[in-house]
Amino acid sequence: MSSSQQSDLANDEVLARYTNQAAQLPQQVRAAIEAQWNNAPVILYAMGDLDRGLKLHREWVALGRERIAIMGEARDGSLSLVADLPRGRIKLVREVHALSCTVLTLLGDANEPALATIRYSHRQRRAFETIVFLLEQQTKGFDVQPSGDADAVYRESLTQPIIEAQSAFARNKGAIVWRLVGYMKPYRRSVLTGMVTAMVMTILTLLPPLLTGSLIDKVVKPFQAHALDLSAARTSGWWYIAAIAITLSLQEVFSWIRLRTLSKLGENVARDLRNEVYEHLQKLSLTYFSKKRTGSIISRVTSDTDRLWDFVAFGMVEVSLALIKILALAVVLLTLDWKLGLVMIAPIPLVVGLIYRHGNVIQQYFLRIWRKWSNMTDIVSDTVPGIRVVKAFHQGEREAARFRRRNQAVLQEAYNIHDLWTGFWPRVVMIIHGIVMLIWLIAMPRMIAVEPTLTVGKFVQFVLYMTMFFQPIEVLGQVGRMLNRATSSAHRIFEVLDSKPQITDAPTAVKLEPVQGRVEFENVTFSYDGVRQIIRGMSFAVKPGEMIGLVGPSGAGKSTVTNLIVRFYEATGGCIRIDGVDVRDLDTESFRRQVGMVLQDSYLFHGTVLDNIRYSMPNASLEEVIEAARIANVHDFVTKLPHGYDTIVGERGQTLSGGERQRVAIARAVLANPRILILDEATSSVDTETEQKIQEALDRLVKGRTVFAIAHRLSTLRKADRLFVIEEGRIAEEGTHGALLEKKDGTYRKLHDMQTALHEMFAV
Amino acid sequence: MVVCPKPFALLKCFSRIRIMSEVVLTTLPDGRLALVKNGKQIPVEARRCFPWSEPEQFFSLRDEDGNEAGFVKSLAELEGASRAALADALAVAGFVFRIARIVKVEEELELRAWEVETAQGARRFQTARDEWPRDIPGDGFLVRDVAGDLFWIPPMDELDAKSREILWALVD
Repeated sequence: MSSSQQSDLANDEVLARYTNQAAQLPQQVRAAIEAQWNNAPVILYAMGDLDRGLKLHREWVALGRERIAIMGEARDGSLSLVADLPRGRIKLVREVHALSCTVLTLLGDANEPALATIRYSHRQRRAFETIVFLLEQQTKGFDVQPSGDADAVYRESLTQPIIEAQSAFARNKGAIVWRLVGYMKPYRRSVLTGMVTAMVMTILTLLPPLLTGSLIDKVVKPFQAHALDLSAARTSGWWYIAAIAITLSLQEVFSWIRLRTLSKLGENVARDLRNEVYEHLQKLSLTYFSKKRTGSIISRVTSDTDRLWDFVAFGMVEVSLALIKILALAVVLLTLDWKLGLVMIAPIPLVVGLIYRHGNVIQQYFLRIWRKWSNMTDIVSDTVPGIRVVKAFHQGEREAARFRRRNQAVLQEAYNIHDLWTGFWPRVVMIIHGIVMLIWLIAMPRMIAVEPTLTVGKFVQFVLYMTMFFQPIEVLGQVGRMLNRATSSAHRIFEVLDSKPQITDAPTAVKLEPVQGRVEFENVTFSYDGVRQIIRGMSFAVKPGEMIGLVGPSGAGKSTVTNLIVRFYEATGGCIRIDGVDVRDLDTESFRRQVGMVLQDSYLFHGTVLDNIRYSMPNASLEEVIEAARIANVHDFVTKLPHGYDTIVGERGQTLSGGERQRVAIARAVLANPRILILDEATSSVDTETEQKIQEALDRLVKGRTVFAIAHRLSTLRKADRLFVIEEGRIAEEGTHGALLEKKDGTYRKLHDMQTALHEMFAV
Repeated sequence: MVVCPKPFALLKCFSRIRIMSEVVLTTLPDGRLALVKNGKQIPVEARRCFPWSEPEQFFSLRDEDGNEAGFVKSLAELEGASRAALADALAVAGFVFRIARIVKVEEELELRAWEVETAQGARRFQTARDEWPRDIPGDGFLVRDVAGDLFWIPPMDELDAKSREILWALVD
């Protein structure tokens, strides 16, 4: 089965499980529309799920190469053609987005009534976006045709939000546990030791009652009945006691071995998972990180792996042992006395059922406390970063009161949980005590009778075994919850591990060392979501050492161009070449080592200034670091700091000013000595003096390198050899600063004039 | 002549003048709402300023460039046809699914799967595990599904016993 077939299957499963929506355009709808179109195929479709009165219904919108049709489908399956018109009649496509619906209107000539109006919930929006995009392109004169199978596009658009939220289709819990077991393979010896010691311990726990019963029946009772003399009775008695003592001591030894072995095993598995997840995260493409919240990724590496430690260390073994123990005890009790054994064992399913039900009920309480807990911690995570605002407006007391209220709500939920479980367990104990009493009631007449049918020793044995039943029952009652927690964590971890990096190197990847710096784009297209094209057939060639300024309005695609050069994303069409080699054939690591980036908000890591400058070249000598710092105008301000280059910059470099952080980032780039340099708004958001210092640093940095610089302040790009003015994903103008200014109606000229006017306005 | 001796009274005067100014609205043939100003029909989008705390008051009318072309304090201040046109536009703008009964909520891996009956029909939807129904200033709760659709849940006392039991763990 091909991967696309597998993906279709998964999408079908998601749709069937989570929605009550058709997995594809119904055959009779397709047939009716295609018949209407003289057998021209439907190339794309979507479903409007709201009618004029905003009630749920089904209305299929089908797009052909020449026509578009809308067909209503009633609950009884009857069809009604709502509209069928040539695509060419559509002059304007208008979408109005409301809270939970979109109204799509297809318009013809001015003042003509709407050609069609379709209403749909956000669930259908992605499917419609593709259709809207194609129609919009058509109205602008571009002939864009969809690629891919219409059914797959439709299904994916519906399932994508679910899959993204869940990370992957809910997999079978058994398969997840089995995969987790695979992580124990390197520690077979520990697993074996843990299992064997646990089993030996189980067997050992069965011995003391057996010995106690024998001691009573074979020593105490015969002695008291004068069938055994004092000395023989004492000798035998001491032997029994010694045997019990040895058994108990051995239990402790095995327990110690088991705990130590399994705890360490759990830690080893958790460490391996942490390493594997983190290493895999480094390989994943930026797309993955843009889809996930940082907190969610962090918790996968930290708390999820930690939660698995508990399960691996004890959960698996405890559960299997609980089953063995219950079975063993049942066999022992039935063997000792089948009638009493039956009385003891028969109610056990009821007790396990009660514990299971209690587990489900308390789960709801845990859900509540989890929510209240999040409410409380939200205040902390919200106010700590915004502490300046809190203080500036003297709202400390109000925030404290808000926290107290939420903290109190947590306490109340905790009380509810404690009330629940403290009320439940005594009732379970009462049931077990009831069973014990029942056994006493049955056993007593059998022991105290003219012809006793039950010996005291056997009964004591029985009572001792009964007390052992409780613990494994409790474990089994908790299995569901434990399994849920563990599989949920394991799923989150495996989801990261199963995510495939979008950028991978070919086996024959080329190492360009050194990169000369020739960059070519040949008819490159790119789309982040597969629908909206950000780069539309862009072509250019940049010579080694050339400095290119990228200008244009926000959202034009400037940063995307640089992201494609560095190969953070793969172009969806066309070809990008570095020194004549397709970037897809390059060794990414070697190539990226020779590319430097200075971004608008430079990210510094927690550590010293030295660590941060050396980040690109960990082995750089101190002389090299100072040289780079001088070039980047860092040296002067750093040497004024009390700890010099050893100053800790704090998380994200917060102890430094924006301009200082930027210059450290430039020093980092200088040290890396990149052949291709990308400057993305490197001098924005700083004051004029700082900008001058950064600009000086950049002027030194750009020498002898191929540079792509993005800037809104056009004055910073005057030194560029050429400027590319980018609009709607295309190069609208190209030339030197002077040449572009000469184009009176040119975009660059307009931008320049606007900035000059603004500058003069504020200068006044 | 209206005398406004104090600043606050002055503000009131302005607001009265504004309220009294006639806002005329109509629906265009293509279905859009339009503000009639100086004989011109300006297509606008109606936005509720307080969709949950004051849904029936304070409406901002935005033109195609997103600028405020008009402002309506209350539907009551409009004449019949304008009121009907605005009410129609608001019905779409404020549309959310209105849950009548909760059939089932299941906790899954990273998802909470809901099965509900809404005023619009039966619906199954999914929310992220950490997406809780939130109290809204008016009444009831609001929850957003993974596709971005909003679902309004009535206050607890307006729900049937089973729905209440299911919802109990998820709301205050």
